[in-house]
Amino acid sequence: MTIRHPGDDGFSNLSDHDSFIHGPPHHTFARLRREDPLAWTDGGQFKGFWSMTRYADIMEYNRNTRLLSSAQGIRIEDQSHEEYLARRTFQETDPPEHTHTRMLVGKAFSKPVIAGFEGIIRRLCEEILDQALAQKEFDAASMISRQLPMRMLGQILGIPPEDLDWLVTKGDELIANTDPEYTEHVLDKDDTEAFRLMPFRSPAGAELYRYAKRLVEDKAARGDTDGVLHLMLQPNAQGDRISDDEFRNFFCLLVAAGNDTTRYTLSAAIHALASQPELLGQLQQGQDTIWDTAADEFIRWASPTMHFRRTATADFELHGRKVREGDKVLYWFVSGNRDDSWFDRPFEIDLCRSPNRHMAFGQGGPHICLGMWLARLEIRVLLQELAMRVKSIRQSGDHEYVRSNFVGGIKRLPVRVVLK
Amino acid sequence: MTRITWKIEGDRDISGEVEDGLNLMEAAIAHDVPYIYGECGGCLSCATCHVFVEPEWLEMTGPVDDVEDAMLEMTDVERRKTSRLSCQVEVSPELDGLVLHVPIPE
Repeated sequence: MTIRHPGDDGFSNLSDHDSFIHGPPHHTFARLRREDPLAWTDGGQFKGFWSMTRYADIMEYNRNTRLLSSAQGIRIEDQSHEEYLARRTFQETDPPEHTHTRMLVGKAFSKPVIAGFEGIIRRLCEEILDQALAQKEFDAASMISRQLPMRMLGQILGIPPEDLDWLVTKGDELIANTDPEYTEHVLDKDDTEAFRLMPFRSPAGAELYRYAKRLVEDKAARGDTDGVLHLMLQPNAQGDRISDDEFRNFFCLLVAAGNDTTRYTLSAAIHALASQPELLGQLQQGQDTIWDTAADEFIRWASPTMHFRRTATADFELHGRKVREGDKVLYWFVSGNRDDSWFDRPFEIDLCRSPNRHMAFGQGGPHICLGMWLARLEIRVLLQELAMRVKSIRQSGDHEYVRSNFVGGIKRLPVRVVLK
Repeated sequence: MTRITWKIEGDRDISGEVEDGLNLMEAAIAHDVPYIYGECGGCLSCATCHVFVEPEWLEMTGPVDDVEDAMLEMTDVERRKTSRLSCQVEVSPELDGLVLHVPIPE
């Protein structure tokens, strides 16, 4: 498995989204881990930033929220305090505030609650695969990967099926706001000043706000108590409940982050099955225990959330570098997940890898992905159903990546399948 | 150093000397105790380091605060009176001989 792609000479500019259009610049990350593990990058349109690329460093610092805070933004983009306050979700808070919100919404995403969705997920996978596989040759990114998280979101939030495509398109506008295929307001190319108080500096955020408000009102009027949405709106044991603002921001987060990450992982998994046919054979012939480990290995492999940013609250030194208070520091999870000082053969997919202490969900810190149990379950069930149906998968055209250094992965994946 | 034992139903016990000052989640990870993941690094965000404390030791592990109490509602295996999130218990000499039971998911 090669780690180099055209243009990645080991010195790719990490602030440039074009450095990621052939996939993450792994050759550059490998060099940084080796030679410059806390590297400075001039920011281009924004202030420069530090890149933390080693697994052990990210694990050590991720929990230290007093020193490296989320409360000034989690993307490279610089925000004024006014912009921060208007746009923040609980991702952009530190403990104890962050923990407080997590206590309110966490139960709805806990492993036992999510496990109860397995039957629904399997039914959705059957529908999706029946539709896609009947075509023999199709774009797996749009016909499989995009479908499952979107339809599952509909189930969880009680959204009418006819609204789902619109909703996910808006989610893409938010989170893929650097790819002209997904937005008319490309963050680093167009003037987005008018949208500076909206989530992801995108007008789609305002539309999603309005939708969320209407959705909750409609559900309340119907006395609808189904699904995660209802659980989220319930008071906790202390009688606290999520505020309207928190809920609307949280809704945007679900639609954007909850969708794209699982989607890109599924595409990475299908791409891997097409590129390395032996992996499909392992899924089909392996022991049942392979399903305990396969999903996490594909999640490590994909690492769709490539980085989160923190802001230093005090000066500190690491690897001879002096980080100043107010400096931005990026945790490159996508790099940590390929760190050979932690993982044995990190550039190989080992579907039985165990333990697999990857950091694709932001492990090691308080912001660990709230949706990780749902993501793991969706990926496992989709791959189980796919492996049952196909004899082989081959790529039938070039695949393409999202133009983003933030959340990204394969956005187009033409494949040809032979059914069993 | 303090001696901790993890009992895993249907499997061998794991015992080890643990450095004081670590928490029980870090100790479990260091001893490769199965089913204890500690995915949030001990920040009270994931509930993946759930253990049942041997009843006679429960009081010695100290009180459960509101946040831990809320997070114990999110564990994979349902909580019991003896449940703790092991990241919230610091290893100290008074815990020498502590016995923990590891909840096994279905």
